[in-house]
Amino acid sequence: MTKPSRLGHANLGLGVGLRAAHFDHILRHQPAVDWFEVISENFIDSAGRPRHVLRQIAERYPVVMHGVSLSIGSTDPLDFAYLAKLKTLAREVGARWISDHLCWTGVLGSNTHDLLPVPFTEATLAHVAARVRTVQDFLERPLVLENPSSYVTFAHSTMSEWEFVSRLAEAADCGLLLDVNNVYVSSFNHDLDPQEFIRSLPHRRIVQFHLAGHADYVTHLIDTHDHHVIDPVWELYRTAHQLTGGVSTLLEWDARIPPFPVVHAEVLKAKRFMGERLPAPEPLAAAAGAGAPQAAVPQAAAPQAAAPHAAAAASLPGAAQVPHPLHHLRPEVV
Amino acid sequence: MSRAPGNGRPAGSAAGDATGAAGSEPDGPARPPLDVVQQWFQAVVTHPAGVAAGAASEAAQGLVRLDRGALERLVRRSSRLTAEQRLGIYANAYYARLLECLRDGFPVLTQVLGAEAFDSFAFDYLQRYPSRSYTLNRLAESFPRFLDETRPDRPPAGESPDAAAAPHHPPRAGNLPHAGRAATAVPPPTWPDFLIDLATLELAIAEVFDGPGAEGEPLLAPADLLALEAGGRFAAARLAPVPCLRLLRFRYPVNAFYSAARAAADAARAEQSTDAGGVDGAGGADLPFPDPAEEHVALSRTDFVVRRHTLSPFESAVLAALLAGATVGEAIAGAAAASELPDGELATQLDAAFRRWTAAGFFLAATVP
Repeated sequence: MTKPSRLGHANLGLGVGLRAAHFDHILRHQPAVDWFEVISENFIDSAGRPRHVLRQIAERYPVVMHGVSLSIGSTDPLDFAYLAKLKTLAREVGARWISDHLCWTGVLGSNTHDLLPVPFTEATLAHVAARVRTVQDFLERPLVLENPSSYVTFAHSTMSEWEFVSRLAEAADCGLLLDVNNVYVSSFNHDLDPQEFIRSLPHRRIVQFHLAGHADYVTHLIDTHDHHVIDPVWELYRTAHQLTGGVSTLLEWDARIPPFPVVHAEVLKAKRFMGERLPAPEPLAAAAGAGAPQAAVPQAAAPQAAAPHAAAAASLPGAAQVPHPLHHLRPEVV
Repeated sequence: MSRAPGNGRPAGSAAGDATGAAGSEPDGPARPPLDVVQQWFQAVVTHPAGVAAGAASEAAQGLVRLDRGALERLVRRSSRLTAEQRLGIYANAYYARLLECLRDGFPVLTQVLGAEAFDSFAFDYLQRYPSRSYTLNRLAESFPRFLDETRPDRPPAGESPDAAAAPHHPPRAGNLPHAGRAATAVPPPTWPDFLIDLATLELAIAEVFDGPGAEGEPLLAPADLLALEAGGRFAAARLAPVPCLRLLRFRYPVNAFYSAARAAADAARAEQSTDAGGVDGAGGADLPFPDPAEEHVALSRTDFVVRRHTLSPFESAVLAALLAGATVGEAIAGAAAASELPDGELATQLDAAFRRWTAAGFFLAATVP
């Protein structure tokens, strides 16, 4: 039986990654954002302001949980205490889905806090698919997995990343989060064709898109999430949008974070690449009840010309950048 | 000290399969099983001396035996970068990410030491206490302990204090005094104590910020205490503290220093315009290094913001006893017996202290037998 598009998930529209730097702005102004994605690890243990803010935001906006520590590709045992916390928070905030990355973050009990690549082999495929199924059984919902940016490939890989991702999604019956910027970054780093990458994926399983900026080091690109989205990535987004018919789209901005309206305006640029094929976003009122903001495009945030390709980061100030992910909350103290 | 975190023997048969790249041609791709690939990768990219040293390390060679220059049997080169350069992206990212996180967790300590000296401490810390948690919020939890364990005036096991090694992490020149070498059993505080105390304060602030609190719960009010007193039941009462209340005792006035450093940083920020609207702002000027002086501080949280309260030694002793479960009468009697202040002064302090503590929401409730 053919799976419904997006595993039956709604197209939430154009969302923004929730960052602590924007908490006050969002609570005060209730911007007309379609939805928010949160970094799960910043909230699952919180008994302070982060969780308090998230509860308020979840009352008004659809929320999706995006993790960085599931380590689904690791050969360490799955951490069921961590999964239980994900499940608790997902219930608490009514998370539409839970996503993480097709990667591993550490082994032998260590966590490098990086999204590390796996060799694309039959053995890896079987290992990861089995773990995805276990996680889905525990969470009682499909997992949505993202293609990470990567900087190495393994000599003994026997298939392409897109073949691995496609076969994994089928074998584990999971959803995909297509990070369009990561496709661009990895394709540059591994001498691949990003269009072929995107065209080769099982589009009906794509639940969500990610967009972000990256840093250009000439010999390689690094997924820093500290810039505007560049034109070639927007072009890939156009392709992805056409192939999927439109799915929930989210902008990530994690370093040198500009004021919220700048971040919001960046994701709204996606409208110019959608043509008329985007189904109407799910009415927010259905998720949030009375008082939900309207999902209209603010005048001030009308699409602008996409930023030119960032100059080589080596020539920019502050070039010593940390690749995504880096998520640590600063305390508020007087 | 230089052993990479996560090194270790691979699991049973996996080692035999991987070592020497069994099952693959001498110059063809190495085909170790996934667990071995991951242990090797982690050993290489977290090695403190970099990728080449990591790949040559005993730990990595015990997992995947690769001759020098043969990394490409496991990791492909790209059209622009060698395998070693590509692995270096992960190696750089590992330390850059975690050092940034630690700097972020100890902004005033970073300000005191300077980023370079702080990174030196933090780099060594990551060797001894690599992250074993799914959250970066716990990365720093052993940092004060690490500073204490590695303080330069700590005598190595079996040696007298006079034979202690010279400081291996000199503080920034001109900012910190030289460590005094005390021959007494309880040496006076020295600059390592200042760093440890400051780190302890910054860690505690972060823990109180995101830990359990009492927002939304009914709290013991000043009027409740007055009612207990009027009923003659105050001395027999036990006070249940809010879960976010932390009592700290320092050898240096790091809380006052923290305030001064933040004020200096705020002033510096106000003079600059940042492209991030203050989100990533930092700054601050050099501050005079404080003299040792005992300082007592209570941390708590109201409205999800951490509040710092300075205490007198007497107040601190009363509060510590209350937190340990003593009755109000027991707490006061114990603290008064240890104080040299006259009773009248103690009574004045107590009256003001209980007023401030209840106004600041230190207690959930009072129980009286």
